[in-house]
Amino acid sequence: MDVSELVSDMLIAARDVLGRRWPEAKGYAETAFVQIAEAILYIETQRALGKMSQEKARLHLDIQKNTSKTVMLTLEGLELVAVEAAINAALKVIKDTINKTLGFLLI
Amino acid sequence: MIGQGRRQKTHIIALGTITFLFVLTLAGCSGIKLISEYDRETDIAVTAFQKKMERFLIFLERNIGKEKVEYKNNTGFYDGIRVDLSAIRVRASAIPKNEITIQQIDLLIKNVGNLESIHKLGISQEDIPPLRTAFNGSCTAILKLELTKKRDTH
Repeated sequence: MDVSELVSDMLIAARDVLGRRWPEAKGYAETAFVQIAEAILYIETQRALGKMSQEKARLHLDIQKNTSKTVMLTLEGLELVAVEAAINAALKVIKDTINKTLGFLLI
Repeated sequence: MIGQGRRQKTHIIALGTITFLFVLTLAGCSGIKLISEYDRETDIAVTAFQKKMERFLIFLERNIGKEKVEYKNNTGFYDGIRVDLSAIRVRASAIPKNEITIQQIDLLIKNVGNLESIHKLGISQEDIPPLRTAFNGSCTAILKLELTKKRDTH
């Protein structure tokens, strides 16, 4: 198995799903998929040597999948912080005009 | 029919205006909050978890094959780390708009369970590096989000 080929296939699949969010997500996805691919390579090697049971292989992969989910959740959180900053910056810009027009401090 | 359509349009415009004013009011002086504030305790507790896990992995790495590494002699570690994670989760749950961090802690709890299962099956020297990468990766991701929640205040 080739790690870079696995990562490349995973990245193509993720890019299609993530669409417009891809530019921000790419770096995170790459890190996460490299870890998954390396875990799969490790499992393959250990299985070939007869040193790993199917149960243990599944546990190893599950750990890497959970880590990838954690990383992608961070990306989701970072996006929320960015959206929040954008909304608040927009409100700040119109604050004086709105308050002046309405005659009281709304914002 | 035409009158009804106009009334509907007016209602939609009125609703839109009310929603816009409501959002502005909610924003208030402090602005809109889509995600929780930074929590120092979560930051400290996740960092402490990472240190504890790393210490444990080093212990396993150095003593593979010895009796003290056997699962039955390390149940105390798993009990302790589960209590730590439970405390982090309870605290995280008490913070508003903190769902993402709660989900991340849940994944960390699942991974501790997976590690324990691997340990029960028999852990090898080669198992340690991917486990270390995974736990460090998870902790880094959780801390990165927590630190970003500090936000720029000016």
